[in-house]
Amino acid sequence: MKDKIKVALAQVSSKREDKEANFQKIEKLTFKAKEQGANLAIFPEMSLTGYVVHDQIYELAEKIPGPIVKKAEALAKKTGMHFIFGMPELSEKTQATVFNTAIFVGPKGLIGKYRKMYLPTHSVFEEKRYFRPGYQTAAFQTDIGNIGLCICYDIFFPEVPRLTRLKGAQLIVCISASPAIRRSYFETLTCARAIENTAYVAYVNLVGVQDGLQFWGGSRLVSPNGDVVVKAKYDEEDFVTCEVDYSDLRTAEAFIPTLKDLRPELFDKLKEYSEFL
Amino acid sequence: MKLTPSVFDIDFSETQERICRFIKEYVENAGAKGIMLGLSGGIDSALIAALSSLAIGGKNVLALMLPEEENFSQKDIDDAKAVADQFQLETSICDMTEVTKCFYKQIPIFDSNDRLCKGNIKARTRMIFLYYYANKFSRIVCGSSDKSETMMGYFTKWGDAAADIMPIMDLYKTQVRKLAIHLGIPQELASKPSTPALWPAQMAETEIGIKYETMDLILYGLERFMTTGEIAKEIGVEKSLAETVKRRWLSNEHKRRMPIAPKIGFRTVGIDFRLPRHKY
Repeated sequence: MKDKIKVALAQVSSKREDKEANFQKIEKLTFKAKEQGANLAIFPEMSLTGYVVHDQIYELAEKIPGPIVKKAEALAKKTGMHFIFGMPELSEKTQATVFNTAIFVGPKGLIGKYRKMYLPTHSVFEEKRYFRPGYQTAAFQTDIGNIGLCICYDIFFPEVPRLTRLKGAQLIVCISASPAIRRSYFETLTCARAIENTAYVAYVNLVGVQDGLQFWGGSRLVSPNGDVVVKAKYDEEDFVTCEVDYSDLRTAEAFIPTLKDLRPELFDKLKEYSEFL
Repeated sequence: MKLTPSVFDIDFSETQERICRFIKEYVENAGAKGIMLGLSGGIDSALIAALSSLAIGGKNVLALMLPEEENFSQKDIDDAKAVADQFQLETSICDMTEVTKCFYKQIPIFDSNDRLCKGNIKARTRMIFLYYYANKFSRIVCGSSDKSETMMGYFTKWGDAAADIMPIMDLYKTQVRKLAIHLGIPQELASKPSTPALWPAQMAETEIGIKYETMDLILYGLERFMTTGEIAKEIGVEKSLAETVKRRWLSNEHKRRMPIAPKIGFRTVGIDFRLPRHKY
């Protein structure tokens, strides 16, 4: 496994309901990431289809593996790249059960997927109307490190990144489709999740306007100490690369040892009390 | 939560950028050739004119002035022209007098003493002119409703509320005035009292019965889920005033929605057909 990797944060806008155009963009930027020496390229939540698609989700969702994932696997094999992107996933067993899913592919094919656990259904969001929540956190041991996945609103719930970290993730990837009014929350939470888990956090957000919602971009890599290593532009498409040095985890863990100091018995209490809110 | 005038001090540079991006992307994605808007000489239309010009260039914004004899104001025409000059808009003037008179004459039950019904004819006639131009020149109609008036239902259904986009509908009047000043619109126009111009000497604040600065704070509190008791205490007004505003806000939801239909089919327009406006 590599000690250091180079990550590309591909902050794109998506054409709604146009998987072909969006995959072409993923393809183009994966090649660009390779040219710039990156090992991993990350694209936003629902970057394959656009975020605001309402009832069209049923036409757009695909089983995994399906046509798009096969194309993604071919692209990863051809480029030797790892990349992560978001898409609506159709259940293998039913015909209209959809998940909001992050796909992780590498040169050897599909590494894994993560189904969003916390589905916002308030304010402008209606995810529970369309999606079934996931039930598993995800951390994948790969040649480029142990990579964990979460999606957007998941980051408001510390237990998701925490569990991902406890499963071994050194780099927690959060793909997102966050509208502008929420910027300050994510800017705070990405740093908090990195610090409390002594892990890198790569946050990649959508840009563009969809039905009046403006996605704010601002993708970033946060170090295990909570420093913003690199930040993409607000509101515009951008592409930035940055280095993830896994030895930084040791420094962070030794300085403020949040994992060493974990108190497992509190989680039992957490479970007990959260059932009676 | 504190309810002071400072709650309206948002980042106006960012707000300007956000609205301009919204206008530009909408016009481009709709494949339209530009913006069509009514320029009344008031602050709301001046602001959407300025923002449209900044978003897509003044030559792509056609501002229509729509005077009619009963409400004619040279001052309003002059103010509208000044905004058009400042933001280099294309302009045109259409006198609506004969059209509105024709309505008054041809409606068998027309009652000239009912100024609201009569005034709504003017608002809807303005809409007809705007949409004629928009159709003819493949443009998007840009409406000028702000958040204060939209929440209060202070507009004419299918009149001034009829538009394709409403770029300032999420800004309270207090913020509209501040953003106008930020964009370089003269202070005199930014603070000009609002009127829907449905009848002579109609003034919005007088008709609604509350100053915008107070109304906006009450509406802001309601937006933030505060109770009327909390709002009244926080801004130092009678609870009954906050309740009156709340009642008016809630009772006018029918003006802010598409017409409702009885649900009969599997999926119903306006109820559970949920589709994107356009693909991109």
